[in-house]
Amino acid sequence: MNPMATAWLEIGLALLLAPLLNSVISRVKAVFAGRQGPPLLQPYFDLAKLLRKGAVYSPTTTWIFRAGPILGLATTAAALLLVPAGRISAPVAFPADFILLAYLLALGRFFTISAALDTGSSFEGMGASREAHFAALAEPTLFLGLAALARKTGALSLSQILPAASPLAPEVALVAGALAVVLLCENSRIPFDDPNTHLELTMVHEVMVLDHSGPDLAFIQYAAALKLWLWSSLLAGLLVPPVAAAWPASLTTTLGVFALAGCIGVVESTMARVRLLRVPHLLAAALALSAVATILVVR
Amino acid sequence: MSAEHLLWLTVLGPAVFALAATLVRSTRASLAIVAAGSLVSSALNALIAILVLARGPLLAGAGWFRVDALSACHLALLALVGASSGLYAVIYLAEELRQGSLTARQARHFAGLWCGTLAALAFLLVSNNLGLMWVGLETTTLLTAFLIALHVSRESLEAMWKYLLICSVAIAFAFMGTLLAAAAATTTHSGAPPALFWTDLIAVAPRLDPALMRAAFLFLIVGYGTKAGLAPMHNWLPDAHSQAPAPVSALFSCFMLNAALYCTLRFIPVMEGVPGCAGWAQGLLLGFGLISVVVGAGFMLFQHDAKRLFAYCSVEHVGLIGLGLGLGGLGTVAALLHSVNHSLAKALAFFAAGRLGQAHGTHEIAHMSGALRTSRAWGVALLASCLALVGAAPFATFLSELLLLKALFDHGRTALLVVVLAALGLAFVGLMRHAIRLAWARGEEPPRRITVGIADVALVSLVLAALIALGVVIPTPLRQAVQAAAAIVNAPSAANLVAGVRP
Amino acid sequence: MLDRLMLVLILSDLAFLGVSRFSAALSLLALQGALLGALALAAHGSASTERMVLLALIGLILRGVLFPWLLRRTARRAEIVEERNPLVGFAPSLLIGLVLLGIAMTLGARLPLRTSPMLGLVVPASLFTVFTGVFLVVARRKALSQCLGYLVLDNGIYGFGVATVGNIPALVELGTLLDALVAVLVMAIAMYRLREEFDHMNTDQLDTLRG
Repeated sequence: MNPMATAWLEIGLALLLAPLLNSVISRVKAVFAGRQGPPLLQPYFDLAKLLRKGAVYSPTTTWIFRAGPILGLATTAAALLLVPAGRISAPVAFPADFILLAYLLALGRFFTISAALDTGSSFEGMGASREAHFAALAEPTLFLGLAALARKTGALSLSQILPAASPLAPEVALVAGALAVVLLCENSRIPFDDPNTHLELTMVHEVMVLDHSGPDLAFIQYAAALKLWLWSSLLAGLLVPPVAAAWPASLTTTLGVFALAGCIGVVESTMARVRLLRVPHLLAAALALSAVATILVVR
Repeated sequence: MSAEHLLWLTVLGPAVFALAATLVRSTRASLAIVAAGSLVSSALNALIAILVLARGPLLAGAGWFRVDALSACHLALLALVGASSGLYAVIYLAEELRQGSLTARQARHFAGLWCGTLAALAFLLVSNNLGLMWVGLETTTLLTAFLIALHVSRESLEAMWKYLLICSVAIAFAFMGTLLAAAAATTTHSGAPPALFWTDLIAVAPRLDPALMRAAFLFLIVGYGTKAGLAPMHNWLPDAHSQAPAPVSALFSCFMLNAALYCTLRFIPVMEGVPGCAGWAQGLLLGFGLISVVVGAGFMLFQHDAKRLFAYCSVEHVGLIGLGLGLGGLGTVAALLHSVNHSLAKALAFFAAGRLGQAHGTHEIAHMSGALRTSRAWGVALLASCLALVGAAPFATFLSELLLLKALFDHGRTALLVVVLAALGLAFVGLMRHAIRLAWARGEEPPRRITVGIADVALVSLVLAALIALGVVIPTPLRQAVQAAAAIVNAPSAANLVAGVRP
Repeated sequence: MLDRLMLVLILSDLAFLGVSRFSAALSLLALQGALLGALALAAHGSASTERMVLLALIGLILRGVLFPWLLRRTARRAEIVEERNPLVGFAPSLLIGLVLLGIAMTLGARLPLRTSPMLGLVVPASLFTVFTGVFLVVARRKALSQCLGYLVLDNGIYGFGVATVGNIPALVELGTLLDALVAVLVMAIAMYRLREEFDHMNTDQLDTLRG
């Protein structure tokens, strides 16, 4: 199987299996809690249910509110095209493509925040401000980490950086640690945000999408799953030793992604959500890890 | 007994007294230990100083001990200050005992810490090893911290904590500087033992790397300079001096600041020998000295606590000494002479402030007036010391300050001269503003009568006599000693380093 | 291998800047003591004498075990748990720490010290530890944090000495260790008295002596 086909196979797997990540996390949490947990295909049933329903739009909203979920899904799917699997190059790869990746994610976040503010509700506004605040700290971490990796491996494209970075080198280990923290933050996992909370005042991401319904909500949930897959495959690309052959590369990456989902489940089961005031400290710590890696690489 | 035994005794003697102080129970015994320890330590120090000044540098203990003219001058000063402060401490604490504000435990602590400090000061003066010199100074910091807070109160604890922290961090910097200097020395010859001996460092000075040595000296002057009270690192000084008991303040101002300057002085000839660094170290010292003179004189203007006033006066005078050392040549001689004279005058000032404070129950200047009425001896002492501290003739400080100004003029530093004169003028205003009121004004009657005995009168007379005598004529032995010491700082030749008398 | 140790040292310094609870900070201090002991033992490789090993072990026990234990006792007696609101917040402290790390790296490269090649990261890491110690003394309110800052500073200077001077005379090393021990004891007693007299350990409220 030629590399191009493998790359598209990986994209197809991502599009198909992304909702399963959430069910893996739920199942791990259920095991820890001694429960049965929901069926593994539950996210698909939820998506199907939502797609069949009609959407309700508040009269205060404008086209931004309708465009938010669609643009969020579009940017996340586009960003997915940039992530490699093992040594197989991504479908879209060019020098400094990681900047495009970061900005695609930022674009998606921008539209989500705009849609939230568009509702005119204070809950959404509160969630939007929190999301923006955390993103302001998380993005530099991502950039610094990827820049450090680029400098270390001497390559400029994600498809070349990730396979070349071995986690045995201290700099790469530091960046992996920083990216793990940012993964938890960007995907609204504990210790940054509790996805199962029903108290709006404690939400960060959930509250931004409180007013969406029907297909919009389906797009949002699916986009969140794709985003989790994207971040996990980035981190798995760092941690898992790269395989050169075609479909084994795809397989190892997929297994790595699911293993990471399992780890997220463990983290969610063992830790509690951190006080909102302490979240910037955690992100600053991640930034420090990235910065130390950068300093080590540059000296 | 050989000279080496003498050196060991001078360090261990006070230490033994310090240990003995932990065993005694009664207050009288503690005071006796203070007196005995101070006198014995002073006698030994004076003996060594005279020996070295007469016969030349003393090298002992396989090179670990070395006393040359510079150390001898400082040992002699320590002897003077130790003896007088020790006697004064006994008088002061005896009065506190009579007033009932001294417990046996406090007396015991005082005796042990006092003798320990004297031992550490002697230790730092006689070592040839720069690391051990540092250990001695650090030990004095730690021991005197509890002397400051002998009487526990909010203010004294605050002063103690500030002193402890600022001086410990500063001394750590000084150690960093010492390490940098040693690192510079080890890069010159591999395989040889590290040159933490001053004699070794001087010998390899021409081969040391200038950048490293500059970094080293920067750390050293900031570190040791903080302990010496050079502005802008002097913040601990007024607090510590005002809160500590008067004998401790006297020891601080009259010797510990000089000891810290001594540690810096040891590195100046090394810096002079490093190629490309000539005059740089002295320039730094000059700068710090100038800032200290200005800051000290300036802050003296709005003080209302007597001991705090004298503390800022110490900052000013240490600045003058630093200024002289930074000039070199005649300036060094003037500075070393001034350290002796300043110690005498400041000792008298703190002694008087302490005793009068005991009489009035406070050190606030507004409440301390009519000193001449309270006690003839201490009133005279206060007035005389104020006059001496502003540099009035016929006191010794007039001569040394004049010499310093002459040195400034000779080196062509007229701008500095003008600034120093202005600062001295400010100091005059700051000090004399209070001196007349303190001495003569009709104030309220002192709440407690203090017992001024023959010991007080004797102490005041001796110190005053010394101040006036030195102001009239500088005796030849003193002049030769100071010149020999200055020669070591300015340009050590090989002759100075020849290990003089064998032990 | 030494490089990995020094990296952990750098991370422990950054952690010092970010933690607020004293139990965590004292564990970090013990970790630093252990790292420096390992450094002292490893720095000379096969050229170590028995005396150097003995000194390294004594230093390890004092810095890694005794000092944290003494301070833990003091913290317990004084009943303080954490540094609640320092003069410079925890996140800004971390960012300033990163700047200090950059400065330490540049200085370490610029200073013309002749160290053996395997001690590559030791000088910058020691310099960074020194800077961290000074920052902790300056930017924290509680007396215990300032004492910790002093010990971190001491650690940094010790590491620097091991890297640059090689074998300091045993007497000097013992003298400095003894001084460090006495300093910790003195500070512990001072802190206890501060707490008794003031009912708190916030040194920024020690401001009655002014001018």
